[in-house]
Formats: sequence, C-alpha cells, structure tokens
Amino acid sequence: MADYSQDPLHPIAILVDELRSEDVTLRLNAVHRISTISLALGTERTRTELIPFLLESLDDDDEILLALAEELGQGFVDYVGGPEYGHLLLPVLEVLAAVEETLVRDKAAESITKVCTSLNQAQIEEHYLPLLKRLTTGEWFTSRTSATALFAAAYPKAAQPTQEEMRKMFTTLCTDDTPMVRRAAAKELGAFSKTLDHDTLLADLLPAFRKLSQDDQDSVRLLTVESLISIAEALSNDECKTHLGSTMKNMVSDKSWRVRYMVADHFVKLATAAGEDIVREELVVAFVALLKDNEAEVRTAAAGQIPGFAQLVDREVILARLMPCIRDLSTDQSQHVRAALGTQISGLAPLLGKDATIEHLLPLFLQLLKDEFPDVRLNIISKLEMVNAVIGIELLSKALLPAIVQLAEDKQWRVRQAIIEYIPLLAKQLGVQFFDDQLANLCMAWLGDPVFSIREAATVNLRKLTEVFGVDWAKSAIIPKVLAMGNNVNYLFRMTTVFAITTMAPALDTDVIRTSVLPTITDLVSDRIPNIRFNVAKALEVLATSLSSQAGGNELVTEGILPNLEKLRNDSDADVRFFAEKGLATAQAVASGEAPEVTMSDA
Amino acid sequence: MSSISSLDRQIQQLKDCQPISEQQVKELCLKAREILVEEANVQWIDSPVTICGDIHGQFWDLLELFKVGGMCPDTNYLFLGDYVDRGFYSVETFLLLLALKVRYPDRITLIRGNHESRQITQVYGFYDECLRKFGSASVWRYCCEVFDYLSLGAVVDGKVFCVHGGLSPNVTSLDQIRLIDRKQEVPHDGAMCDLLWSDPDDIEGWGLSPRGAGYLFGADIVKTFAHANNLDLIARAHQLVMEGHKLMFDDLIVTVWSAPNYCYRCGNVASILELDENLNPTYRSFDAATQDTRGIPAKSTALQYFL
Repeated sequence: MADYSQDPLHPIAILVDELRSEDVTLRLNAVHRISTISLALGTERTRTELIPFLLESLDDDDEILLALAEELGQGFVDYVGGPEYGHLLLPVLEVLAAVEETLVRDKAAESITKVCTSLNQAQIEEHYLPLLKRLTTGEWFTSRTSATALFAAAYPKAAQPTQEEMRKMFTTLCTDDTPMVRRAAAKELGAFSKTLDHDTLLADLLPAFRKLSQDDQDSVRLLTVESLISIAEALSNDECKTHLGSTMKNMVSDKSWRVRYMVADHFVKLATAAGEDIVREELVVAFVALLKDNEAEVRTAAAGQIPGFAQLVDREVILARLMPCIRDLSTDQSQHVRAALGTQISGLAPLLGKDATIEHLLPLFLQLLKDEFPDVRLNIISKLEMVNAVIGIELLSKALLPAIVQLAEDKQWRVRQAIIEYIPLLAKQLGVQFFDDQLANLCMAWLGDPVFSIREAATVNLRKLTEVFGVDWAKSAIIPKVLAMGNNVNYLFRMTTVFAITTMAPALDTDVIRTSVLPTITDLVSDRIPNIRFNVAKALEVLATSLSSQAGGNELVTEGILPNLEKLRNDSDADVRFFAEKGLATAQAVASGEAPEVTMSDA
Repeated sequence: MSSISSLDRQIQQLKDCQPISEQQVKELCLKAREILVEEANVQWIDSPVTICGDIHGQFWDLLELFKVGGMCPDTNYLFLGDYVDRGFYSVETFLLLLALKVRYPDRITLIRGNHESRQITQVYGFYDECLRKFGSASVWRYCCEVFDYLSLGAVVDGKVFCVHGGLSPNVTSLDQIRLIDRKQEVPHDGAMCDLLWSDPDDIEGWGLSPRGAGYLFGADIVKTFAHANNLDLIARAHQLVMEGHKLMFDDLIVTVWSAPNYCYRCGNVASILELDENLNPTYRSFDAATQDTRGIPAKSTALQYFL
C-alpha cells in the first residue's frame, strides 16, 4: 500500500503512467480508478492538475472514453470541490459529447445532465449555456445530436431570457438538415416539453413538434409518437382535440407501417393522455383502423392493446365496434396476430360480464384453442383464469373440456404441459366425481408420456391432486396405479414410479407409506438399473423427512427406511453410494428423533 | 464433499447460462482430464443410455434436449461430439457437459467430434467466443487440452458402436481403434481422423469425401464391419438431418442430429436416440427452444426493426 501523504506526487504519477500505457486494459483500469485518485489528490489538485490533464488525454480508444464519460457522471462533482466547482467538469464532457461513437456521446450527455443538477443559475448562465450553444451550432452532426439531450435538465434552472434562447435553440435543432439530429430532437422533445410551462409549450414547442411529425423521414416521424403522448399529458382535453387531433389522425394513417406500428404499440398510453372526448370521437375509429391494418406487425401491436383500450370505452362500444374486429383477428392469416390476440382476449371478460362473455368470447376461445399454431393455443390456456372468474368453472369446463382433452394429447409437449398445470385448478372446482369420470385417465396417461418434462409435471400434478382430494382418495385412486408401474419391464416406467413417490411423499401419511409405498420401494432397491437405485435412495430420504413430523414416523424410518439405505450405501455404483450416504444422514437424524434440516429436494 | 457441492453450484450456474470463472474452468478441465485419461479409446458403456448428436453451442436447445430426455444423472447420456462452434453459447454448452461429466462420470459419456480441435475451433467460432467472454484465450486452451483426452468412440453393451463421423479403411475391428494414441490434435489423415470425419453414402466400398478429410463408405463396408465386430447398430452424428435422425443400410447405421433449427435458420427438427435396458431404440424428436424460455423478452424482436 503506497503512502500518499509522504509522496504527494505518487498517485498522479501512477495514473499518468497508466493512462499513457500502451496496454488498453491498464488505461481502462486507471480511468475506472479515477475517483480514488482524485480523492487522494484532494479537491484543489483535482481541479488544477487532474482536469487539465484529462482534457489533454481525450484522444483515446472509445472504450476508454466511454469509461471516462461514465466516471465523471458518478458523483464526481464532489471530488472537484462540490457544486460550486461542478462546471469545471463540463469542458471534458463537452469534448466527449462531440465524438463519433454514439455510446460515448450518449454517456457524456447523460453525465452532463447529472452534473447539471448540481449547478446554480449563475453557473448555468456562465458555463452551461455557452456549452449548449457550441454543441447546438457544432459543425458536425454528432455534437448537435448530443445537444438535444441537454435541454431538459437545465431549462428549469435558467433565467427567463436564457429560457427563451434555449427554446429557440431547440426548435432550430428540430429543423436541422441532418435526419440524425431531427431524430434525436424528436426523441428528446417529450422530456423537454415536460419542463416548459403551458403557454410556451403551445407557442414554441408545438409548432416544432408538428413539423417533426410531418418529417419526410419515417424514422423521425415514428419517434414523435412518444413526444405526442408527453405533450398530450400536459394539455387539457379540449386543447388536445384542437392542437393534436389532426396529428393523431395523420399518424394512424401514416403511409409508413413503422409509424403506424409505433402508434399501435403505444395506443393505450396515447388514448389515456388524450382524454375521453378524443377517445370517443376519434380514437375508436383510429383503433379499429389499426386492428384492420394491412401489415401484420401493426395488427399484432394493436391486438396487444385491446383490453387496455377497451377499459377506456363503454361496453356498447366494445360490443359494437371492437368485437367485429376481434372476430376477424381470430382468423387472421398471421399466426403472430392470433397469438397476440390469444394473450389479450381474456382481458375482455371482466369488462363484458358473464352473459356477453359467454355469447361473444367463448366461441372465439374455442376457435383459438383449435388453432394450428401452438403458441396461440398456449396463450389462451394460460389466461383462462380471468374467464373462469367471470363465467365460473362449470360453464367454462362444459364448453372447453372437449377442447382441453384434445390438447392434452397434442403432439407439442409444451401444449400438454400447459394443460397439466391447469388440471389441479380444474379439479378443485369440478369435484372428485367429475374428475374421476373425465380427467383421471388422462392424468395417469401422462405418467407414461414420451417426454421427460411431461412425466415430471404429471407426478407434480398427482401431488397437487392429493392435496386437493385428500390422502384417502389418493390411496384408492392413484397409488395402486403408480405402484403397479414399478413392475413394468421398461425402466422409464419404474423410474416414474420412484419419481412419483418422491414427489408425492409430503402429501402422504404414515399408514400409506407403510402399507403401500415401502414394499414397492424395497423391491426397487435391488433394481438392475443404477439410475433407479439412486433415485430410490433420494426417495427414501424424502420419505424420511416427511415421516419425521408424523406420529409413528420415527419407528417406520428405523424399520423400513434405514435398512434399505444401508444396503444401497454398499452398492457397486458410485452415484448410488453417494445418494445413499446423503439419505442415510437424514434418515438417521429422523430415527434418533431430530428434525432434519434437509427439506424437499428441488425435483 | 465440499468439492461436490461447489461442483453442484457450478452446474446450476451453467444451467442458467452463466459462465464460471476462468480459475474454475481451469480446475474443472484438470479434473476432467484425470477422468478422461482413464477412459478407453472405445469406451464401454451400459444400457440404458440416451445418444445425442451434434449440439454446436446451441445452449438453450441443449436444455430443451434435457427437458425431453431427462436431466443427467437421472438419464444416462452419450454425446457424439461437436459440442462447440457455430452456435452462440459454445462456452456454456461445453462447460456444462464437462461439469456433468466430472460430477457424474458414470452417467454421461462425451466422445470427440471433428470440431473438438484447435484448428477447427479457431475458424468456426469457439476460439472467438472464449476470447470475447473471458478476454483471453486461456479458457480456449484449457478446453482444447480436454479435447485431446476425449474418447474416439463408445460401444453400448458390446452391440451398438457409437462414433462421431464413421468408419475408416484403416479400421476393420474395434480393437484396432484401441491401439490409437488418441491424446493429440486431430490429425489430417489416418484412422483417428476418419472416425471423426467420414460419412456413409449410397456407394459401394470407399469413396473420396467432399469434406477434404475422412472418407465416404457404402452399405457393404458397414455390413462387413458390423458382422466382424458382432454389432447390431452403428450410431453416428456429423451430418445435418432435417428429420432429426436417418436410418440407412437396412437400419444398420443411423445418423442422430441434436441441434434443432441448426445455425438458428435451417428449420430442422432434432432428435435423440433412447436405448432402453434391452437396447430397444426409440427416437425422440424435439424443436428449438422457444424465445421465452431463453429469457429474452419477446418484444425485443419487434424493436429490432428500429435499431
């Protein structure tokens, strides 16, 4: 550890050395340590030596410049002596804000904004404004692009005449010759508009915004969508109508689909900001147009906004104006549109109420559930809960059960998985009788599924069902079938038996474990496949854990579990021995009456 | 015990597609070499086992494979090589498989593919990926040293011969493979090269390979080899098959391909070959992992238009 107090030149000397090093990583490290160095130097030498030094060393790799731009924004004001000296950081950042690499410029602009928050009015007038002027009138587009981001932070702190000047500068940037600058202006306009008061916003910024929104480059126009939302938020409903109504209309029918996509993607925000009147008079028409757009991307984005927008309009409007479009979308030729609709359509159920949901939405659900594209079907299933809340499980199951049974045998395993995850919920509300009649066979069939994840989900499903219907039901309805699989000639089925036991163990009682489970497990201890044997060891550990909290559990562990684990610990296979040792530690703790710390394995 | 639990942690980390530290890679590769050096050129393995073909750095699709086939150690695996190159996650893919190998040496077998080589990985992506993800080539070097120790083939219950590429005119019996000194970079010709590079083809006898290494071999060669070595089946990978697997020559040789939508654009399905305890084969096919399982928000695809 170097002693800085004895040799005051030491740290800066090292920094200078490292900053001049040939090795980029060394220079990069030096830059990242710059706050430490300046702390060692003290504030005065940071101002008089370090900053001038940095100003001279700005001809470096972009990676280094990026790091520097970042470091100077992270509370570096304190190292130069606090807010009153904060402006001293600006010259370095100004250079960085004008370089060619976008990442560096963006970071520099961000840091300038951060520094700006600590400056007072005098500093703004004396240092910040000149910087802004230089960047705004810079010859190369890079500096002008960065300038657009620097208005919002300083504007509220500036004196009135300066504010006027700043507005002028910004509007000049909005009409810049290069589209890159206009794009940046369009992007920053929203943030800047938030700092203006109502009248100046209308007088100065609105015309600039209008111009941008009619720019001949669609890449500029599409960025004005978010600014439009910011401006609309600042205006009253009437003003929105007069000042922004036509712009919104133009955006919706813009000849570039990218602009229409942006509008569609932000439609709920836009409608919320614009207010009720516009929504009723203009935006319903606009939204319908977007839902019918020629481009699938636009329709997909619009479909994503359906429930959000529906909340803003009356129920009659939903039924009369939106439902026809939704019906069309459900047979849209693009699978992405249908998938987006599938995620969103359930959100309409609470808005429509029970009867209308049954009349209008259920047929669409049925249709989308039969969609040839699995994502569409999945999206519908995963959102059924909302519909369930509105129309009740009975109707839902009556209408959808055939479709669900069909999906349960779908050849896409993720579709089957989604259905399985829904089964406990269905079971809970349908009751034992209905379940045993309609779904029980399905649940057992999944245990023999070709895909491992489905077999795994099927065992978890059985545990959840046991929790729903109780151990007695499991004892008669499930356990015999599961244990019978333990004699199957194919080891995958025997494995599933072991997995099912492991998963269900927490839901079983001492009696079931003693009379049904342990005999089968004991047979499998000498299975010829090692994978079965070490999973038996894992199962025994879990059984021991779940027995520990039950009456008579300790004895059963001693009689039924420990001997099996003792046998497995001498197995010829290393993995079997490993898991047997692990299980043995747990089981011995249980047998001796301690509560084991081991909880469920994350199977 | 502590090394096992730290290994378990590394496996968990790799399963989340987070690379482990360079130091951890170094230790892992050292342990892997200790295990692999004990394995035979043609490693004997017991059924049941699930045989997988090329992965090529398609990490999320490898996880999909495990979802369909079961995770190691519950399912025994034999991978036929070509773990790296071309996909975006060669590092995570190979290290996960290697970590599983070190943790469960009896449950997973890794043999060498033609891409497990210094020369090839410098051209097809693994080298660059290591450099990008670790800032130096050391990880690549550690991995290449492990490559040299990988077995050249495996035989399941003495009946199913498994190899990355195919047969060699210099090899008429499995015992001849056992004589090769395998601990070296893949040579440009000779038996070791052929095993990793050759392809079956509808020809008679041996033919020149368009790949510039290895040979083409016909049905007669396969039949003679299988008969001489008392084999039921030869399982190999090395060639893209749109349907995931392809049986040839009266079901005597099969190509298994386990990289779905190869290079993220071929549109093929992948498959794995499950051999049960009686060597009954079942082919399980699977598709590429979906976007949402990769933890990438679906929205980013739409935003890409504007970037």
